[in-house]
Amino acid sequence: MSVSLTPTTSLTPTTKIRKGRNFVRRLPLGPTGALASLALLVSACAEDKPLNTFEPRGPKAQGIYDLMTPIWIIMIVVFVVVVGGTLVLTVIGRVKPEDYDENDLPKQVHGHTVAELAWTIAPAILLAGVSFPMVSAIWDLERDNKPGELDVMVIGQQWYWEYRYDVDGDGFFEDVDGDGELYGIEGDGDQDDKEWPLNLALDDDDLSVPNQLVIPAGQQVDLTLTSRDVVHSFWIPRLNGKRDTVPGRLTFWSIDADKPGEYNGACGEFCGLSHARMRMSVVALPEAEFDQWLKNQMSLSEVPEEPAQGQDPSPERAGYEVFASQCARCHVVNNSDSALQELYPKDFEADLLSGAAPDLTKFATRSVFAGAIFSQYSGIDPDDDNLDVTNYLQLAGTERLNEALLTRWIKNAPEEKAMYPEGRRGMPAFPGLSDTDVENLVAYLATLD
Amino acid sequence: MAIVERPLALPEGDLPEIENPLGAFSRPHKETGIKDWLTTVDHKKIGIMYGTASIFFMMIGGVAALLIRIQLATPDSNFLSADAYNQLYTMHGTVMIFLVVMPIGAAFANYLLPLQVGARDVAFPRINAFSFWCFFLGGLMLNTSWFLGGGPDGGWFNYAPNNGVAYSPSNGIDFWNVGLLITGIASLSGAINLITTVLNMRAPGMDLMKMPIFVWMTLVTQFLLLFAIPIITTAQVLLLMDRLFGANFFNVEQGADPLLWQHLFWIFGHPEVYLMILPAFGIVSEVIPAFARKPIFGYPFMVFSGVAIGFMGFGVWAHHMFVPGMGPLSVSAFAVATMFIAVPTGVKILNWVATLWGGKLILNTAMLFSIGLITQFTVGGLSGVSHALAPSDTQQTDTYYIVAHFHYVLFGGALFGFMAGFYFWWPKAFGYILNEAWGKWNFWVMVVGFNLTFGPMHILGLQGMPRRIHTYDAAMGFNLWNLVATIGSMILAVGVLLFVVNALVSLRDWKNAGRPNPGPDPWDARTIEWSIQSPAPEHNFDYDPQIVSVDDWWYQKYAEDETGRLRKVAHGADIAQPGNGEGVHLPAPSYWPILLAASLPLLGYGLIFSLWLTIPGGFLLVVSMFGWALEPADDLDLAHDHDDHDDHDDHDDQDDHESIVETASAEDTALVGDAPSPGDTA
Amino acid sequence: MTTATAGVSVADSHDGNEAHRTSLNLSNMKVAMWLFLASECLLFGALISTYLLSKARFLTELLAGNPIVEASIDNPGLVREMQETGSVEPLFDIPFTSFSSFVLLMSSLAMVLAHKAVSEADYKNTRIWLATTALLGSIFIAGQIYEFTAFKEEGLSFTGSLLGSAFYTLTGFHGVHVSIGILMLLTLLVLSFKGKLNQDRAETVELVGLYWHFVDIVWVLIFTIVYLIP
Repeated sequence: MSVSLTPTTSLTPTTKIRKGRNFVRRLPLGPTGALASLALLVSACAEDKPLNTFEPRGPKAQGIYDLMTPIWIIMIVVFVVVVGGTLVLTVIGRVKPEDYDENDLPKQVHGHTVAELAWTIAPAILLAGVSFPMVSAIWDLERDNKPGELDVMVIGQQWYWEYRYDVDGDGFFEDVDGDGELYGIEGDGDQDDKEWPLNLALDDDDLSVPNQLVIPAGQQVDLTLTSRDVVHSFWIPRLNGKRDTVPGRLTFWSIDADKPGEYNGACGEFCGLSHARMRMSVVALPEAEFDQWLKNQMSLSEVPEEPAQGQDPSPERAGYEVFASQCARCHVVNNSDSALQELYPKDFEADLLSGAAPDLTKFATRSVFAGAIFSQYSGIDPDDDNLDVTNYLQLAGTERLNEALLTRWIKNAPEEKAMYPEGRRGMPAFPGLSDTDVENLVAYLATLD
Repeated sequence: MAIVERPLALPEGDLPEIENPLGAFSRPHKETGIKDWLTTVDHKKIGIMYGTASIFFMMIGGVAALLIRIQLATPDSNFLSADAYNQLYTMHGTVMIFLVVMPIGAAFANYLLPLQVGARDVAFPRINAFSFWCFFLGGLMLNTSWFLGGGPDGGWFNYAPNNGVAYSPSNGIDFWNVGLLITGIASLSGAINLITTVLNMRAPGMDLMKMPIFVWMTLVTQFLLLFAIPIITTAQVLLLMDRLFGANFFNVEQGADPLLWQHLFWIFGHPEVYLMILPAFGIVSEVIPAFARKPIFGYPFMVFSGVAIGFMGFGVWAHHMFVPGMGPLSVSAFAVATMFIAVPTGVKILNWVATLWGGKLILNTAMLFSIGLITQFTVGGLSGVSHALAPSDTQQTDTYYIVAHFHYVLFGGALFGFMAGFYFWWPKAFGYILNEAWGKWNFWVMVVGFNLTFGPMHILGLQGMPRRIHTYDAAMGFNLWNLVATIGSMILAVGVLLFVVNALVSLRDWKNAGRPNPGPDPWDARTIEWSIQSPAPEHNFDYDPQIVSVDDWWYQKYAEDETGRLRKVAHGADIAQPGNGEGVHLPAPSYWPILLAASLPLLGYGLIFSLWLTIPGGFLLVVSMFGWALEPADDLDLAHDHDDHDDHDDHDDQDDHESIVETASAEDTALVGDAPSPGDTA
Repeated sequence: MTTATAGVSVADSHDGNEAHRTSLNLSNMKVAMWLFLASECLLFGALISTYLLSKARFLTELLAGNPIVEASIDNPGLVREMQETGSVEPLFDIPFTSFSSFVLLMSSLAMVLAHKAVSEADYKNTRIWLATTALLGSIFIAGQIYEFTAFKEEGLSFTGSLLGSAFYTLTGFHGVHVSIGILMLLTLLVLSFKGKLNQDRAETVELVGLYWHFVDIVWVLIFTIVYLIP
């Protein structure tokens, strides 16, 4: 047994402590700096942050923001008191190694029941106080469905969103067995009203739009959410918080934009390979323009004319034929285009593995494609929020189609966005298509306005 | 106490030959080198192995983290593919939680619990070894998935149905499943072992309310494990049935509910969060009083707040599920419950601060890391309140704000606490003190790197950056802070490496200085593990310590003088136990724990690749269990109550002779045995 | 926990035949067994919850006429019966399962008698009652195997339907627990025949008994929840 050091000197060799002195004097400013800078920086650079949660643009998001504003202040005060207090006490209480005297003990305080009860009860009261506005906010966020509000069903799938508009106002799903009861839910969206199985067959009078959700500004839009495959989460930060879409379940949410404009979102729940590339674009239009948009969406796109006898088909017609032979296996144009529908009936039930590809009807009216990550038109960045929505209804007429990107996408989509086409989740590459085929196809897609 | 109450004399005459239990091996005897480590049942060696293995896994998890940060440093980066990124972030989370933070807690628990309660070992030393090997081999198995078709890619939370074969066709998630089932066995058997040790093997006089706070926090931790592990085990069994045997638990087509997974996972997952942080709370509750030179402020409040955190930890799981649409009533209930868990946590922080108040602080590295925990955990705790508020959580959940939050809690909290523990107990475990100058570099580089990495993530999250995305677009405005975070992560990595460097440099310096012994009590500390020599002798205590009060060792050294002032009356080195363990009986090492543990990954590979492979695994399993059962268990081991009695058994067999190697030398002179026991009269 | 203080004994006057002093005056093994069983409660709790949820979801879909779920039971007659009664009861043969449950409950009685016998150093009866317990347990397992076979023939398969997955997993997990119990009983029996299971080791029998009673109680729960409550 060799105990060479006496207890007095055994508090580590003194010289080593001296070496460290200049470090000791520096305060741990890291956490202070981090949080203090937080509030400033989040708001300071907000202008070009399309997903910023500190920039509410609708009453729901504003409600969350208002709930949190006092909480942030309380948090910062608590932070300054506790962390600042700790650091001050650390500096005050520090004993230099050379001044250390083992018999000079500080006052041996074992506790102070009153103080401890105080700092048990005081935070409890504070938190109880906070919980009243919180609970009230929770109920406020729940969708309260009023008649006349637009109902949209949001269906998540790997890796894009489909939006279904209850145009005729009779609920979402058709009466498949003819007994007068609708499978699925009525428009009022009470979870208890739902009937299983959830049937995603589309009511003929309703409308399906992929990738871009167009809503009327200034009024609440009621959302009913579900998923075809895995859990996703629908989130437009400037309009509301997020709500998951759960396969086999319906969830309910709402969004509301004060002013016309574009509002971006990103899938909030990890949903597999291309989770990062599953985004949302919400376009809020003035009510009159929205009605115009809806009317256009419900109309049919013209099928390019067959060429006259002995003539070459127009590029659009040639593209249409490529579409019919290749793309129509998964994509639909003109739900009522009987020729295509007979060939490839639209059947969402047929494949729960996201076999249903985006509906390309009115393709050219949207500003984004491929899960809202790419712009269909040159000069518009889909991740920016600078889309000029006053021009939204004339996009196809005024903007230049992003032909290069569309061509790359059609030829080899997995190169542009990670997908599993072999598992029928995402678009495969089409190495067999010639350059002319793709060119014609793009020409055809441009006519879909 | 299993150690001293039985003054057995060496048996007369020759010891009988020890036969081979199965004819296959002779039982390992006192060995040195690798064989010793493989077969040891000594809780201290097992604790050290837990720590070493955790740091090894931390390197894997850390490299994954750095790759993630490099990928995210710039927008639209192609450094990693989406697939590789998903595997890396999944494994980063899984490894850091299950193979780093949890086992470092287990390392401290293993090493310190018996020392702090005054026991010679844990209740079941061989099961303890089995627990370690299950953890280590299970973790290795999980990491072999990198080479066998790709790692798991569903996230550490692994939500259904994305974890199904349809959406994750590689074997990665099967490895995740089986590997974590095996580490789950380790946690469960470890929990039973450690709880039994604390409840049943305390030194004479150590009531529950005289136990060190670290023991209390570990006890709560182990209870959390005891009740949380079966839940995740159930979830994993269901998933395993789905993936490997075609069951339908998460098959939505057949009507299954994906939220079942979320509920099961978080009923486990939330206690999991607390069981990762509580050991670190225990550590700083030991370090701060030692270097503030005053007792912990409000011992009972510290204990009860820990217990309260444990209980409440089981009632708040659904705050991870505010957004899947549980309905406003459940959301309100869980949100309110969640906010109130901040109360006991706040009590702990304020009691630490009150302990610092008026103290004479010795700011060495262990103390700095403890103060680092207090300040950084406060940040994590406050950001926790902001998403306990469910409406605000709908904006913050699954963003980088959450990433920042739990790294402040788990890295800035738990790992900083563990670092404090390493610096504090290093001399007790290894017999040399870590260099203070390197230690302070280690601390400050880590503090700067840590806050630079995770501080900006608060901002990113509030600016709307979702978690688990492999890339982001330049126009989203996340560029600057991601770059800062990446730079910070590099600094942080250097900071962590400095610890390893410090361990090596200090070892070299110590050797060059002629291996000076730091003495039993280099910090003038408070609890009884400092009353034995450093490094802790293999038999821990020469005789049972008699516990009179909390911080018993401190009050052996300090007593009040006539003016009522506390003065030093004895030097630790003078009154410490001399470490004379001659004749003390110790549990013998054994091959069977590692062999039994090794059979489990073999069975796992069999389940994943081909049921034929289960045959060798099953064979090894049966042989090891048989061998284990036949092996003399030693009186400190699980046969505590059987084999001893066989000493007086007519049908005695060879199992028992080995356990008699014990003498009365210590006991004859020990303090024990003087007072009559209330238990004896019963 | 209140016993903790009393349990801290400092005496070592007893000889090796007495139990070692422990803080709780319980042997380590017994504490560990209770902890293990506490943990098992959570395991079965989670499995039973899973079954209940899965059954509810299965029934909802079945009653709504979901064709996929209707086809998941390979027996149209049974499906119709389930739809008519609105429950999964038509699947079960309550008298048969009641009988095997009764057998399992009786085995607990035998287990108690075995422990009593060994405590009284009545080794002959120890063996008889251990064997009886193991036998009754085996009858239960045989009944379960028969039941599984019958259900499979009735059209309920493990991979086919959600109900099947949940039912077989829950009852199968319990069956595995009973089987492990039988193995432990047989080990005790072998020890007893070799003369190694004497009065001093009564606690070993008690521990196996604890496990056995626990498994029985779980079965009572499963029988009530799965079979009896519609």
